Amino acid sequence: MKSYDLLSLAYRNLWRRKGRTILTVLGVVIGTTAIVVMLSLGIGLVDSQKKQMEQWGSLNMIRVHQSYSFPGEPGEEQQRLLTDEAIEEIKAIEGVVAVSPAYEVSGEAKLGKKVGYIQLVGIDPAMMEMLEFKAAHGRLLTAGDKFNVVAGSWVINNLWDPNDTLDRWEEPPQGDPLELLNKRLSLTLMNARQQKRIYSLNVVGILSDDSMENANTVFGPLAEIKKMRAFVEQGGQSSPDIPVFPGVDVEVKEPPRSRQRQQQVDQYSFALVRTADVALTRSISQELRDRGFNAYSMADSLEGIEDVARQMQAVLGGIGAITLLVAAIGITNTMVMSIYERTREIAIMKVVGASFADIRTMFLAESSLIGIIGGIIGIGLSYLISYLLNTYIGAAIGAGMGGEGTVLQVSLIPPWLVFFAVAFSMAIGLISGLYPANRAIRLDPITAMRHG
Amino acid sequence: MPLLELRNVVKKYRVGREVITALNGVDLAVEAGEFIAILGTSGSGKTTLLNVAAGLEKPTRGEVIFRGVVLNKLKEWQKVAFRRKQMGFIFQSYNLIPALTAQENVAMPLLFDNVPPRERNRRAAKALKHMGLQDRSKHKPTEMSGGQQQRVAIARALVHQPRIIFADELTGNLDSQTTYEIMCSLQATVREQGQTLLLVTHDRDVARFADRIIFMVDGKIVSEERGGFNHV
Repeated sequence: MKSYDLLSLAYRNLWRRKGRTILTVLGVVIGTTAIVVMLSLGIGLVDSQKKQMEQWGSLNMIRVHQSYSFPGEPGEEQQRLLTDEAIEEIKAIEGVVAVSPAYEVSGEAKLGKKVGYIQLVGIDPAMMEMLEFKAAHGRLLTAGDKFNVVAGSWVINNLWDPNDTLDRWEEPPQGDPLELLNKRLSLTLMNARQQKRIYSLNVVGILSDDSMENANTVFGPLAEIKKMRAFVEQGGQSSPDIPVFPGVDVEVKEPPRSRQRQQQVDQYSFALVRTADVALTRSISQELRDRGFNAYSMADSLEGIEDVARQMQAVLGGIGAITLLVAAIGITNTMVMSIYERTREIAIMKVVGASFADIRTMFLAESSLIGIIGGIIGIGLSYLISYLLNTYIGAAIGAGMGGEGTVLQVSLIPPWLVFFAVAFSMAIGLISGLYPANRAIRLDPITAMRHG
Repeated sequence: MPLLELRNVVKKYRVGREVITALNGVDLAVEAGEFIAILGTSGSGKTTLLNVAAGLEKPTRGEVIFRGVVLNKLKEWQKVAFRRKQMGFIFQSYNLIPALTAQENVAMPLLFDNVPPRERNRRAAKALKHMGLQDRSKHKPTEMSGGQQQRVAIARALVHQPRIIFADELTGNLDSQTTYEIMCSLQATVREQGQTLLLVTHDRDVARFADRIIFMVDGKIVSEERGGFNHV
């Protein structure tokens, strides 16, 4: 039998018993919806957590520090220093897309009347784009830059006018990062011998604010910052402690614990590593730790959340699966009933030339059709329920967490889930039809016509 | 060589603990183009003979040979192929599918033979027209009289131009006037197309349309008569 004949016959046979077919399809609709909505809750949970974490820093980035240990302590021999060889070694790890070593210095900055302490990090200008830096205004650094820098979106809030009579205990108004763009920022560095050196930096770009990780940092070209660092290191002490100003949210980097040791300039402060995807981030981060580095990534904390979500999905999906199993039994029941009713018809078809395969495919087509129709309607219903969950429950939770207007996506239906659900419901229909179809095949036409 | 040959065919049924012998050594040769009526009372084994001859039932002993092939030794799918291409069936109770229209019922053997819809419909319409039912093609079986339903069934048996047609009490549910009309047109059609017809009946008036009339009693052929009633 041709497939279009098969389909039209299956469709008409199902439509002969509208009520029964609709009820059977309804079973599949409920089963599919249960599975899809339940799974979408788990997926939504992971996704919203991911998004939240991405606000704090990219999931594809790893920050590597050297491991420190004090002299005489066990493990001193194993400590890894961030030298050029170490950078090369990290670069060679499979899955690493880009690496940049970094130096950091901090000092007093001045912008017109405003003053404040800033943290300046030198990185490889050519790697900036690869390391997922994005300029919201202006541009990123390029190879030729010397005293050009790019500022994080929050840096402006670390500078203030000392003559301002603003109450320090009040939260200061948020500054406009554009105030920095194309301006000269003068930076005063001091070394242990109390020598001062003033640098004039030109702000050529402002980083986009979708990552909080770099918001308080100013980035400059590696080579120049290295020289600044060399100056600061003179006299055997690193930069002076950064005073903490009340009411001002300054990200304070913990001063290196190796202060007792003379830090050599050929050791980098830290390194930024970019990987191809989240899964790799996790494994590479672990690998770096195994090799003796201090490595940290946002993706590391994602694992725990995903474990919870997986367990939740297993439980919720299991409930959905039971519903679909009941629906499958419903399909089998409907098909067996249908065969009882159509015993005579099946016999006639066999006599006029229907083969076993024809009869079997006819019934399988009917049961699969029930599955597919149920699956498609189920997907539609799932989208509706998902929408309602997000609009009402998601908005309520979101408002509680992130203020009015924040919508937390509690339910997320990715395209693969749609495809999977329809394919799965069709497979359920097909499997449910196997037993009835085989019954139909075994029917003896002569007996069936005599008694049917 | 006869088109269809039965050699010493025995068919026994087990009903509970009892064994019933429906056919008790039947020999029959049907030539191509012949119209044979098997006449007998109910329980004489005539329907069993038809079923065994068509390969719908397996004989307990003996052979059924259709065009040189031993039918009862074939696999089910091979028998299906034979039925689909070379055999037509007409039953007492019409056996139409209620959900399908007259035309779709007629086209059914072609459907299983993978004939495309356009060609299928053309041939079904032609067969219906031949039986005088051109204006009933879109009707469902329940919307037609018994005579009309049986004509649809005949059109279905003829649509794929089989070599042989098996008819089991095809007029059993019809009044005498309709029986006469249907037998006339069936006789005319098979003669015209040179088809073979094996017909089972208990009605002498029906049997006399055949070229040969075979009498069955208790699963055995007892005598034979020449028929050949010609209505023209």
